[in-house]
Amino acid sequence: MAESNRRKAPEGEYVPKADDDLLICRCEEVSQGDIRRALHQGLRTMNEIKRETRLGMGLCQGQTCTRIARAFIARELGVAPGEVGLPTPRTPARPVPMTVIARDGIMDEAAGEGI
Amino acid sequence: MRRVELAVVGAGPAGLSAAIEAARHGVEVVVFDENQRPGGQLFKQIHKFFGSKEHRARERGFRIGEDLLKEARELNVTVELETVVSGIYDGLELVVTKNDRVEHLRANAVVIATGASENMIPFPGWTLPGVIGAGAAQTMCNLHGVKPGKNILMVGSGNVGVVVGLQLIQAGCSLEAVIDASPRVGGYGVHAAKIARTGVPFHLRHTIKEVYGKDRVEGAVIVEVDEKWQPVPGSEKDLKVDTVCMAVGLSPMYQLSKIAGCETVEDPSRGGVVPICDEYGATTVPGIYVAGDVSGIEEASSAMIGGKIAGASAALKQGYLAQDVFEERYAAFRKSLEQLRQGQFGHGMKGKKITHTQEGIEVSESLLCRGFVDESEILRFPGIPSEEIRMRGLTPVIECTQNIPCDPCREACVKGCIRIGESITDLPSLSKEVQCTGCGMCVAACPGQAIFLLNQNYSDGEALVVLPYEFQPLPEAGDEGTACDRSGNPVGKAKVLKVQKAKTMDGTAVLSMIVPRELAMTARFFRPSGSEERRA
Ligand SMILES: Cc1cc2nc3c(=O)[nH]c(=O)nc-3n(C[C@H](O)[C@H](O)[C@H](O)COP(=O)(O)OP(=O)(O)OC[C@H]3O[C@@H](n4cnc5c(N)ncnc54)[C@H](O)[C@@H]3O)c2cc1C
Ligand code: SF4
Ligand code: SF4
Repeated sequence: MAESNRRKAPEGEYVPKADDDLLICRCEEVSQGDIRRALHQGLRTMNEIKRETRLGMGLCQGQTCTRIARAFIARELGVAPGEVGLPTPRTPARPVPMTVIARDGIMDEAAGEGI
Repeated sequence: MRRVELAVVGAGPAGLSAAIEAARHGVEVVVFDENQRPGGQLFKQIHKFFGSKEHRARERGFRIGEDLLKEARELNVTVELETVVSGIYDGLELVVTKNDRVEHLRANAVVIATGASENMIPFPGWTLPGVIGAGAAQTMCNLHGVKPGKNILMVGSGNVGVVVGLQLIQAGCSLEAVIDASPRVGGYGVHAAKIARTGVPFHLRHTIKEVYGKDRVEGAVIVEVDEKWQPVPGSEKDLKVDTVCMAVGLSPMYQLSKIAGCETVEDPSRGGVVPICDEYGATTVPGIYVAGDVSGIEEASSAMIGGKIAGASAALKQGYLAQDVFEERYAAFRKSLEQLRQGQFGHGMKGKKITHTQEGIEVSESLLCRGFVDESEILRFPGIPSEEIRMRGLTPVIECTQNIPCDPCREACVKGCIRIGESITDLPSLSKEVQCTGCGMCVAACPGQAIFLLNQNYSDGEALVVLPYEFQPLPEAGDEGTACDRSGNPVGKAKVLKVQKAKTMDGTAVLSMIVPRELAMTARFFRPSGSEERRA
């Protein structure tokens, strides 16, 4: 297992840092502090941090922040950026309004097309 | 469920080329793109491209895009716009979202040509309105006719930074500086020189420390970095800018390929995470191919060839193309691709320090550190005629000093004045008997705007300098102004003798100016009087 994936229990309280406010994910407003707190809790992979903080779950779907976040996490953990795994990209690759998903299939059936 | 023989995701140069190649062999092709207009990045490339004729060098990117679209239409390729491919499942089932509907369709083969997205670096203030990607700035001015700002700082000196930098100046913005954390300019020297001679300073070994402003960018603080890339305390400079353009690299958009199950690999030389593929563009999922920036960041010309390879592979797989025909076409594509990958910016050259050209000439240090070849260095390059020739009459002066895959200058001169050796990356040189008629075709054709004409003996004490000019308003014969050197510094008076424009020059005006003879090898830019002097 990559060193970056080895979990550790938090040691004491999280100690805030001066640049905690700097945003990493613009869409979901996730800051360096949010990520540090997640790491402090023992989360290690991009997927875990994504679920905890919503990093990369906004409008751009991590297009901008994934690279920045991986580099930041690597620096925090003292590992090479490549060692921080990638978040799993999932369908839809671009945000889709809920109405569209709700209609998926129904409309086609109503129109007699089926799928 | 709808069935298609080939689904192409992305209508950029790679996707369109894949579609055209496959359709040419009879494959039924549908191309999906999320934008309102097809063409991907091509339609904002208003500059002339490098390469050779077969790569469509000296043509402007958007024209190449128009031609691709025409070709696609003629071959009955369907292009569905404002359509997002939001997922691909096992067995090549695509989930496509158009308007407010989701459609599922099944393809026999898929070419993923989703391109790349722009990188950002975080610094205090990076989320303020006014900090934008250079590509976004290019879209604003070249597609929508909107200036992104008045006073601009460009972060990144790679080709994207210097190309977009010039286009911002052409759009009427003031480019205050180009900075780069690297000690050397990353882009082609000829691109950098175009903006250096308008007076834009290059601050190498500098990074952005912060951007400040209340509701939007009001200024930026840059700082020098040392050999270990650490900020040097006390070296901060405050730049009054309202826009900061980030040109700090592109990342392949591999996500869709990963959703489709393709294995990926992290490869910094290709820009980051990319789907694993073989030389035919085939990924680890049978039937799925990749082409263009998504398979590794390069440029539009190579994206088009990569697209053709993927398109031919998809046609072969479906039996539309015989193996031997495929082999033949593939070999030709490969050769063309390899040509483009030669030279000092080619494959595997990233980060390598070059001290000498292929010809064994010491490279220009000032080009790498300040964005222009210093007058003291220019004489050693083969495109520069001797003083004797310069005094004899009109001659081209070719200030192209790096080994790049490019040769339109040779093509342009019907008089055979300009030579390029065996390799397309050889430096252009002058033939022994230069019989220049002053037609200006080479000046206009050179995508690097690196060719000047010179008659050092124009009249008693005066020299004639001819240069490419792509700014508005266009000066007219008789106009007076300032001659500037390669760094944009005013060096003396200049008077416009004539301005040549021709259809074949494709938008590049060829301006002849008269300067004092001693400035013959110094004056390389004309600034009309009345226009603001940047560095007084
Ligand atoms: C600012 C800038 C300047 C450049 N300057 C030059 C230059 O001077 N010379 C040169 O040769 N090259 C230049 N390039 C590079 C060149 O533009 C690219 O290499 C080339 O466009 C890559 O082609 P492509 O087809 O792979 O991708 P793109 O042209 O990016 O096309 C990809 C298309 O796919 C679409 N797409 C992506 N995902 C989906 C999806 N899920 N569903 C539907 N559609 C999707 C995108 O919206 C886009 O339209 C420049 C690039 C940039 C960003
Ligand atoms: S000006 Fe015309 S004749 Fe002279 S070198 Fe250029 S292309 Fe040749
Ligand atoms: S001088 Fe020739 S090789 Fe150099 S950039 Fe111009 S056209 Fe290309």
